[in-house]
Amino acid sequence: MNDLIPLMVIVPIIVAILLNLFSKQNTTVKILSFLVAIVLPIIPILSNYGLHYFGGHAPLIDNGNLLNSLPSYISDGALSTFHIGITYSFESLQRILLFFLFVVGFLCILTTLGERKRIPGSYMFLMFMGLAAVTAMLLSDDIFHMYIFFEIAIVAQVGIVLASTDDLKYEVAMKYLLLGSVGGPILLIGIGFLLGLVGSVNITDIVYAVKNGLINTSSPVFLFSFGLIFFGWLYSVGLPPFHTIKSSIYSKAVPSGSALLQALSVVIFISLGITIFRIYSSLPLLEVFLIFFSLSGMILSLTMAIMENDFKRMIGFLAVGELGYIGLGFGIGTKLSLTAALFQGLNEIIITAILFIGFGVILYLTKISDITKLGGLIENNPKIAIIVLLGGFAMAGVPPLNGFQSKLMLIQSALNDNLPELAIIMILISIITFMTFMKAFHSIYLKPKPKNLIVEDVRVPRSSIFAMAVLIVICIVLGIMPTLVTNGFSGFVGGLI
Amino acid sequence: MIDTQLAALLSSGSFIIIGLYAAIFIDNIIKKIIGLSFIEEGANMFLITLAYRPDGIVPIFLPGMTPEWFASKSAYPLPHALVLTSIVIGASTLAIMLAIAMVLYNKHGSLSASVILGDKK
Repeated sequence: MNDLIPLMVIVPIIVAILLNLFSKQNTTVKILSFLVAIVLPIIPILSNYGLHYFGGHAPLIDNGNLLNSLPSYISDGALSTFHIGITYSFESLQRILLFFLFVVGFLCILTTLGERKRIPGSYMFLMFMGLAAVTAMLLSDDIFHMYIFFEIAIVAQVGIVLASTDDLKYEVAMKYLLLGSVGGPILLIGIGFLLGLVGSVNITDIVYAVKNGLINTSSPVFLFSFGLIFFGWLYSVGLPPFHTIKSSIYSKAVPSGSALLQALSVVIFISLGITIFRIYSSLPLLEVFLIFFSLSGMILSLTMAIMENDFKRMIGFLAVGELGYIGLGFGIGTKLSLTAALFQGLNEIIITAILFIGFGVILYLTKISDITKLGGLIENNPKIAIIVLLGGFAMAGVPPLNGFQSKLMLIQSALNDNLPELAIIMILISIITFMTFMKAFHSIYLKPKPKNLIVEDVRVPRSSIFAMAVLIVICIVLGIMPTLVTNGFSGFVGGLI
Repeated sequence: MIDTQLAALLSSGSFIIIGLYAAIFIDNIIKKIIGLSFIEEGANMFLITLAYRPDGIVPIFLPGMTPEWFASKSAYPLPHALVLTSIVIGASTLAIMLAIAMVLYNKHGSLSASVILGDKK
């Protein structure tokens, strides 16, 4: 059922619009959000692999009658293989990532519904628009289409931050938008250079032109387009020099919103990362740039996470730092490393959601995010403490959880590619991540409770506990049986290299 | 006489450089936003420039034209379509930035970026 492919984008957009229309009708907003969020993960499961041509505009070569009526310079050349309209491509990568993205999206929406009595429809609108935008980016085979949804995703992310109650939300949102207004046009100019070279914005067409020598890959224009698109990618994913603003964005949103923001960022990271890899994999510069910026991101973010006492910002920095692992996988560029990078991306979505929702419960009960003012909370919520602890273990790469499997694959791929120094750095960063997480966990749960700490006598929303429980089960299952997803990723990567 | 396409390219480059200057060096947040608009319009103009063809025609296929003649004369329509979308997206982002700037002005009583955004984490 290839017709279901565009529905993965269309359904959340339509629901988002409806939610905005019924913004003030609380019950309608809640029911509609819940129902659609629970249905969304089913669509990627039911869809068949394949391509969807918008408007039915298949490449000319697929239309024999039309092809015969065209001049020979079109019918016999590369032009006949070029894509005329926007194309969506749905393969194993898209199925796995979108399924888990929608599951995390559902759990974030469920948590929001559980934590708030009144939900503005506009907030749910932003959540669904964010989901639709990154889904379109992952499915699209058109780089300009990706750019458009990239901009929509940024606006949705800013909106999610603005819906929080943090005092500094406007300042952080403005900073993010100011930077985004530089990053976006720079990405667009890079796309413009590619359009000028190839005459198409379809990624498959651009890759065809690059691989078949139709364009000069050592020309300054091609290299310049690489630099510009790479810069736009750094902004969108929060690698240096944008790591600070990205973690600020996470720390200012409500915790369930932060979980979704990180999921959106990871999917943007993977979508644009794969596009860059496909187009520019012939450039030796690509490997150097990817490894340099990923390592810088990991080291800088971790350094800032260690010094941080605000657990929201700490998790924000850890989340941004973990993205570096995905970049390293792309940088190494082998089949194993790319599979590991995609697996790491999936794990990142799940693990950070656990941590944001788990620490969100602390915020819900105490209204405090400074770990020096917290303590002894294991007495109040031992179950949540255990789930958060397991989430932290998964992030640090402790066996047998999913984070361990993806990091092990990444380390193996670095060793196989004669890059032992990278493997050592990855191990060291995992250890420091573990220490940083344990510092926060000890301060919040294990150290004696401060006398002036007031824990509100309210029950933790069941939706939050349910969301965390589902996510931790996924972590354990993927840790024990990683082949459930790695086979699919490996199949996709096989076609990529 | 300067080539039209070259002149347009230089103009788009100027827009981008002026915009970058405003975004980086001017402290007033509204002027920063105007600068960012310049960058965006520069990018749009750059795309439009790609579509230009000397002595070209509007890319509408009319009765009496042969496909070969049309293909040799028509401007490239794709960048025009892209820019149209880009303008809409740019306008939305601009509206949000201005709305936030209004809120920040009411909160801080200033439009200075160093005052508003200073050392906020």
